[in-house]
Amino acid sequence: MRHVPALLARELNAYFLGPMAYLVLLAFQFIAFLNFWELVDALSRPQGEYSSLRDPMNRYIAESTPFWFAILVAVPALTMRLLAEEKRSGTIETLLTTPVTEGEIIVSKWLAGLIMYGALLIPFALYLPFLYYQANYHFDPGPILGLGVGLTTMGMMFVSIGVFFSALTRNQVVAAIWTFVTLFLMVVVTHLLAFYFAGRQQTRSADAARHVAILDQIRNFAMGRFDLRTIALHLSVCVFVLYATTTIFAARRGR
Amino acid sequence: MIEARRLSKTFGSVSAVDRISFDVGRGEVVGLLGPNGAGKTTTMRLLTTYLPPTSGRAALCGHDVLDEPLSARRCVGYLPENAPIYGEMRVREYLDFRARLKDVPRSKRRPAIAEAVARCGLSDVKNRILGHLSRGYRQRVGLADAIVHDPPILILDEPTAGLDPIQVREVRALIRELGERRAVLLSTHIMSEVEAVCGRVVIIARGRIALDDRLENLRLDNTHLIEARGPAEDVRKVLAATPGVASVRTLREEDGVASFELRAATGEDPREEVATRLVANGWPPRTLSARRSSLEDRFVDAVTRAGLMGPETETEAG
Repeated sequence: MRHVPALLARELNAYFLGPMAYLVLLAFQFIAFLNFWELVDALSRPQGEYSSLRDPMNRYIAESTPFWFAILVAVPALTMRLLAEEKRSGTIETLLTTPVTEGEIIVSKWLAGLIMYGALLIPFALYLPFLYYQANYHFDPGPILGLGVGLTTMGMMFVSIGVFFSALTRNQVVAAIWTFVTLFLMVVVTHLLAFYFAGRQQTRSADAARHVAILDQIRNFAMGRFDLRTIALHLSVCVFVLYATTTIFAARRGR
Repeated sequence: MIEARRLSKTFGSVSAVDRISFDVGRGEVVGLLGPNGAGKTTTMRLLTTYLPPTSGRAALCGHDVLDEPLSARRCVGYLPENAPIYGEMRVREYLDFRARLKDVPRSKRRPAIAEAVARCGLSDVKNRILGHLSRGYRQRVGLADAIVHDPPILILDEPTAGLDPIQVREVRALIRELGERRAVLLSTHIMSEVEAVCGRVVIIARGRIALDDRLENLRLDNTHLIEARGPAEDVRKVLAATPGVASVRTLREEDGVASFELRAATGEDPREEVATRLVANGWPPRTLSARRSSLEDRFVDAVTRAGLMGPETETEAG
């Protein structure tokens, strides 16, 4: 893993020297701004006892449609070029003929994607100190920390999936579509499945679907339920996908 | 330094490289020649560990490409076809990145890059963005990348493609100089390039070695054209019996004058003996000339022969 810093530095440079990173960041900044506006607006109205605002982080992030929509679009957009671009331009040949292992390449690509993903979430964190100190709204920091951890492990998993599909093809669009479809299944379809099962009184299936639905997982984090099983699930999927990516990438050299 | 033993690569049912064996030693510059699609690039990709061979073995500096790929890669500088590079980086930055990947120690990185930049004539453009460079400069950046870690082996896929005549001359001089204490394998279609740079030529056609010989042997003309007045068949027998003659081929017989192509055994010059014998038999020779075969003729000859012989015949190169 000695070459990871060099590979990672190049990857981040490539991100920030192109327009893509800034476009995505701008979009996220805009969504964070709208969500924060809405949150402040809701908080300044008189509250009922059982208001949804008991969990402001849910209102702000975890149940926000624009937030999830942006994540579903941004993760494929950020990860699609990681390996597909190298394959298309042929630079992968120069990379694989230096004493660098496939594992180092995959880990560097994944880390680069993860750092970019982290950068996307910064705008959301940026507003919170204002709410706390400026507006004197003393929300509970626990759920925010939990949400931070949950969103990070979720990002690790999502980015590993993006890297996986990018390693399979030399066409960035194909990689992006596959990643989007997979993430959509994990976030939205599992959630709908939970509703469907619940509607038919199949509680066990509903529970199972709710347990793997990313939307429900993140909502739980935002409510302050710090579930280590979810963290373990995210991390094990991430490690498995990265391992599979490395193996497939090594087996498909030159293709 | 480079050893290939019965190296094969098949893509599905297509055999791209078929049991080729050759060696390249230190101080040798070997030209890999062949028509398009003959397997030159595949051979180079097998040697640089980019592709795993289907069967056979290859080793660089004694490191097997399958067993010790990382050690094998460490001792080779490779310039792939079309010199792919990252368009958004600057020349110096790119070479620094490559030197880090190739394990050039931090203290030696700066002088190593400076040397590669100077040798490849990149001083004027070292702070330019790679994507903005012309084809010729990109090619030279690729070459600088190949030599930045001072490898004992260089594998260059069409190193002069896209260069202007002056750059071609510079790059050839550089390759000759690099070849003095390294093993260099380069591929090209340009015959004059081989004659200018290489000491040995390996011609591959249809994935097999059609010819592997030193350039001076290839230039050596041992084919003679003979015309004599006499019965073709009898003359042919006499010619074939002459010491120092490897083979005789009748070209044609017109108006009692027969012409032959005579191939002499290596290192022999039987022309005087042939003339004496013809005269002694009463068949006055009309022509007796050495045929100058250019490298291009040998190339076409070797490739056509390989094409005609089909896949079953093992070639003379071992």
